[in-house]
Amino acid sequence: MFKIERVTKVFHTKRILNNVSFTVKKGEIALFLGASGVGKSTLLRILNNLETIDSGTISLDGTLLNLSTVNATHTIGMVFQHFNLFENLTVEQNISLPLEKVLGKSAQEARTIADALLSRYGLADKKNKYASQLSGGQKQRLAIARAIAMQPKIICLDEPTSALDPVLTSYVAENIQQLAKDGYIVLVASHDTALIEKLSCTIYLMSNGSIIESVQSEEFKNNTEKFPLIKKFIAGHE
Amino acid sequence: MIIDFQLIIQSLPRLLQGIVVTLKIAGGGCAIGLLLGTLLALMQTSHSKLLRFIVGVYVTIIRGTPMLIQILCAFYVLPQLGLKLSPLYTAIMAIGLNSAAYISQIVRSGITSVGIGQFEAAKVLGLSKIDTARYIILPQALRIVLPDLGNEFVTLIKDSTLASFIGVAELTKQATDIMTQTYDYITMYFAIAILYLILTSTISLAVAQLEKRMSNHV
Repeated sequence: MFKIERVTKVFHTKRILNNVSFTVKKGEIALFLGASGVGKSTLLRILNNLETIDSGTISLDGTLLNLSTVNATHTIGMVFQHFNLFENLTVEQNISLPLEKVLGKSAQEARTIADALLSRYGLADKKNKYASQLSGGQKQRLAIARAIAMQPKIICLDEPTSALDPVLTSYVAENIQQLAKDGYIVLVASHDTALIEKLSCTIYLMSNGSIIESVQSEEFKNNTEKFPLIKKFIAGHE
Repeated sequence: MIIDFQLIIQSLPRLLQGIVVTLKIAGGGCAIGLLLGTLLALMQTSHSKLLRFIVGVYVTIIRGTPMLIQILCAFYVLPQLGLKLSPLYTAIMAIGLNSAAYISQIVRSGITSVGIGQFEAAKVLGLSKIDTARYIILPQALRIVLPDLGNEFVTLIKDSTLASFIGVAELTKQATDIMTQTYDYITMYFAIAILYLILTSTISLAVAQLEKRMSNHV
């Protein structure tokens, strides 16, 4: 179980995250919903040691996580909004290089793992291409494949649909749902309300750095009136 | 006719020897400049204030003094410090150290042009700083600044003429030696100007080809 307790982040005098607490179990998806600037991306960046926290605790399976070591222990993986694929490397090398240099796999072993993941994500025929030669959807699948190659326990996806054509949202949602089925703890930051319909998840609506309403997506779909803030947020985006 | 083509043909063997030495100076200087310049660029883009200060002082001194003075200093001062190098190696070292200051600024601009997302992705994946620089950032930075590095190499070819001041028999020195024997300044200056033009144009073309090859996937 992944547990965040009273995490606070302050930039200058502004509270970007204000006493944020939640728990996510293995195989579950937490969807952080909110407008731009409410702190949802910052939350994911904090978990990946790209920002520091000012207070609060983060634990995984009862053990406190030292965020300064999460990169070295590759406990948490990240799929960036703009994918951040390595532009000078081929599709295959994007996955195999970290396997070799971080996990100490042999070049052959790393290529075998990379090729298996590329096949799984329908990118086998693109392995010698460069990231710039892929479509948006392909880039995202490569970014997911690169993240799970490191065998993290938690995967964060920042605005997974924003850089893609809207028709791809269902496909993206399937990929995210599959990650949960595979046993990962999945955290998604998005302002895309279409994901509520397509994901089986816990929705956390954020505003001004705080979680202001939360609900299971199924429960919300059955009784939207009970969750006026989420309903209002969705209405504002339609 | 003002230009004595017969003299140029007769002088070609000596001029070609001079070209070989010129290329040794420019090539050696460029190698030192590229290695040290890249190291300085990495130091300058690091979080260490001390490293950034050291690079700043180095670049200020090198860029703020004439290369001729630097070559002469190396020629006269290094032996006093117990480092006895031939004039050719003294010139290569002085020009390389000078070039490193300029190349460091070129590479630094390349590093800062690489998107922050590349650094962040490498960090999240657990790549060390050295591996990130070696496999992700520098290849992209060098590709970005390849035209500027090509210009720097062309400049080094031209700057190598300064090595003649410490007696290195590079192209200009060979030509001036012939001039003192024949007094035909116009012919020899014309000849070496053409040879320098051929050298620099060839390098520019080679860099353009390399640039095209490296940018095929972008």
